[in-house]
Amino acid sequence: MNRFTVSALALVALAALVAPSSAAPRGPAAGKHVHVGVIADVTGAAGVYGTPQKNAYELANEDVKSGKIDAGGADLVFDVQDAATDGAQVVNLMQKFTTDGQTPIVLGPTLSGEAFKAFPIAKNANFPVMGTSTTAEGVTAIGPTVYRDSLAESQVIPTTVKRTHDKWHYKTAAIIYGDDNAFTKTDGDIFARELKAAGVDVVDTETFHIKDTDFQPALTRIESKHPDVIAIGALFPEATKIIQQAGKLGIKTHMIGGNGLNAPDMYSVAGPAAQGTVVGAAWYSGAKYPSNVEFVKHYTAKYGKGPDQFAAQSYAAAQIVAALVKGGATNKDEMLSALKNVRSIQTVLGPIGFDSNRDAKSSPVILSIVKGGFTYFH
Amino acid sequence: MLAQQLLNGLFLGAVYALFAVGYTLVFGVLDILNLAHAAIFTAAAFAAFSLAGMGVPLVLAFLIAAVMAGIMGILLDRVAFAPLRARNAGTLVPLISSIGVAIIIGAVLRGIYGVDERHFTVGGLDTAPVIHAGPVTFTTVELTIFLAAIVLMLVLSWVLRATPLGRRIRAVAEDRVAAALLGVNLELTIAATFFIASSLGGAAGVLTALRYNSITLDMGGPIELKGLAVIILGGMGSVTGAVIGGFILGAVETLAIAYGLSEWRDAILFGVMFVLLVLRPTGLFGKRALRAA
Amino acid sequence: MQTLLDFYAKHSRLIDQIGVNAILALSLSVSLQAGQLALAQAAFMGIAAYVSAILALNYHWPLLATIVAAVLVSTVVAALLAYPVRRLRGVFLAIATIGFGEIVRVIANNLKITGGAEGMSGIPNDATTPVIYGSLAVVAIALWLLSRTKFALAVALVREDEYAARGVGIDVGAIRTLSLALGGAIAGLGGALYAHASFFITPNDFGFARMEQILVWCVVGGVTSPVGAVIGSTALSILPEAIRFLADYREVSNGIILLVVILFAPGGLASLWKWRRGAPRDPVRVHA
Repeated sequence: MNRFTVSALALVALAALVAPSSAAPRGPAAGKHVHVGVIADVTGAAGVYGTPQKNAYELANEDVKSGKIDAGGADLVFDVQDAATDGAQVVNLMQKFTTDGQTPIVLGPTLSGEAFKAFPIAKNANFPVMGTSTTAEGVTAIGPTVYRDSLAESQVIPTTVKRTHDKWHYKTAAIIYGDDNAFTKTDGDIFARELKAAGVDVVDTETFHIKDTDFQPALTRIESKHPDVIAIGALFPEATKIIQQAGKLGIKTHMIGGNGLNAPDMYSVAGPAAQGTVVGAAWYSGAKYPSNVEFVKHYTAKYGKGPDQFAAQSYAAAQIVAALVKGGATNKDEMLSALKNVRSIQTVLGPIGFDSNRDAKSSPVILSIVKGGFTYFH
Repeated sequence: MLAQQLLNGLFLGAVYALFAVGYTLVFGVLDILNLAHAAIFTAAAFAAFSLAGMGVPLVLAFLIAAVMAGIMGILLDRVAFAPLRARNAGTLVPLISSIGVAIIIGAVLRGIYGVDERHFTVGGLDTAPVIHAGPVTFTTVELTIFLAAIVLMLVLSWVLRATPLGRRIRAVAEDRVAAALLGVNLELTIAATFFIASSLGGAAGVLTALRYNSITLDMGGPIELKGLAVIILGGMGSVTGAVIGGFILGAVETLAIAYGLSEWRDAILFGVMFVLLVLRPTGLFGKRALRAA
Repeated sequence: MQTLLDFYAKHSRLIDQIGVNAILALSLSVSLQAGQLALAQAAFMGIAAYVSAILALNYHWPLLATIVAAVLVSTVVAALLAYPVRRLRGVFLAIATIGFGEIVRVIANNLKITGGAEGMSGIPNDATTPVIYGSLAVVAIALWLLSRTKFALAVALVREDEYAARGVGIDVGAIRTLSLALGGAIAGLGGALYAHASFFITPNDFGFARMEQILVWCVVGGVTSPVGAVIGSTALSILPEAIRFLADYREVSNGIILLVVILFAPGGLASLWKWRRGAPRDPVRVHA
């Protein structure tokens, strides 16, 4: 056997490894049609979060077909339905998916408040659901069929406070958070709790509302109290404006935030003032997990913009479901028992398992905003 | 700190006032509440964004976007209000048709621009020089926006007071039937009213976008209800009332935060409005104000 | 029969929403019939929803008791609100009552007992379809009986001409207070049912967007009659699900349908039917 033959054989072997899985049906679910329900707020006030989720599932649909996501040869389809940021529509979709007899699991909805309305329906039907962005406290406590692959704010913020406090040794802090939705309100509460626990004196707390654009009055007041650190409990649109306007007012204080600040264009939108802001999050766009590198590349190519955490967690949910389908879970009961036995599944978020509360078992990443993206905070 | 907060309130109030002035003009002339005003505010901001992206200088983009908003206003009237006016459909029905148009405009903008926040990439908005004047700090961009809003409101006041068009608008506001009998072309005057009102609303949208260097689909959301409150508080169709109402709104919002009451901000705002209305059941300035402007 | 059961299993949530929404639309319709553009229905609904949720969760009251208590509270609040706004008319009344609604929302957002922005979860889901439609029937029958009394006549007179009403000795203030309180009671019933049909409530469920939605239902159905309110709320509750197949064009279609309906039937959907039967086409005006 000469060297040429060896390399040719190696190539053939390699080709077999990377060949589309659909080419050769295998596994218990091979050839079966599996229809997964997805509820996302593509339109309405939360459209800015639901749209990347929809994008991620569309990409996942392509990747299942091409074999990049291995679903064991099953004809796996993610059916994304828009709930228009309307609780009534979320509930109706959940009812429809849980009773149509062909859906083994529902992914979504987008907001925690929607999850509290819709997940009890799934629980009563003994039907598995997985939240991908519903990070408020108590979501998985709704019932034994409720899972989530997103890290709760309560899993992220304590580490963020600890790591920054260890490094900067700050004595005082101010908190600014949105007080009219569950996500940012949870942020505000946990920041207050954790900062106090770290012996930090919270000298000022300011609140804002979703869609606010002018944060200068609140920032002016914060600045007058001279905190060592400003903790931001906000989602991307408000967070960028807070950071940008703080820069304009000449505020040089360190800033820290949670999952809501983990979006690729944080720096390009908020500007130089964002430099050095510390973000605790569930996912890092630059993480070197093989599927993550691929995911970021393909998502960016397809949508002209890098994925954010909403997209990443949705894509990870698609990977988890595909792995379970590959293992033979094609109806809701099989899906439920498969979910109970998940050890560790490789996703764009890294290897994921579930703890006894059905929350994602993984540790948060602590990032620092730099020009062009993020880097690990050391 | 208080001086800075008052300045914050003044800058905020100027744009609120500009938005409200256009809102109230339509209300004064036609007795209809146009809930698509906030949608045009947003559409104009996106238009300016696209123009700036094509390399049009910001000042020109601002003016063209305002004119485009004015034309949208005329179209809005022809589609959503004129047919109802012809059928004498009252006040509530046009309110609903304007909600329909607002939904359509929002959906079309989403279709064109997607859901992501946009920002101007030209013009050095983020690097504008900062001016320190005694206890207060502001940027040249903020100052320019403030002055632009004031100038536009002065121009409107002059148009209403001293031009033949202004006289016609006031005549129609006073009594549509009598004005028609006196030879005022009703539909033309109404079209002009919509043009002016919507271009001012659009201008407010572009200025808001420039001030925060941010354009989003729901940027009109917060101002919609507050703007409504301002024009009704000001008095039906009173331009002066809308201007004063806009500044009151900016001041109350800012001071509520300055005194550490940010979580009660909206309750204070609507509480003040509620009390003022109970004391003056037809608003601060009656409808006469537009007619006599 | 099996098909019917399957249909119900799939759409029971929507069917329940239609019933609750009809009650909410009726509550606004009562105010509009009295010529009052009082837009605090979402606030009354919210107050009642929280009262019934708190009583059920913290004090384990049975469903009926929480509903009765919630309706009582919302009725009293509505009657009390009538006093300060007694001199307000038209849009001034509208914006003052909307302002009241915003204040209620902010209070709910800041109180401990309401759970603030994080809302209240785990509310017993015991407002079943028969309970909801039974309540709707009670409201409909009550309104029908009321429409045959002198009170209804006095309400109509106050709506058409307040001064004439005063002239014949009608206590206009009392009529306005009573109609606002009646609207508050019905909205409260709707709110309590909403809480017990949704598992979870948050202050944003009862904000301006909800108020706008109820107003749109009433005007699209036709402000002339309670029937219009029910037709409008039912049609617009079904619409988003009915046009789901339009996918990316759903949002824009929603706006176009609303616009077209209102342009072709300015008197509301109910007027199309009445008009065929030769009734006058001109809708009763809400004085603005």
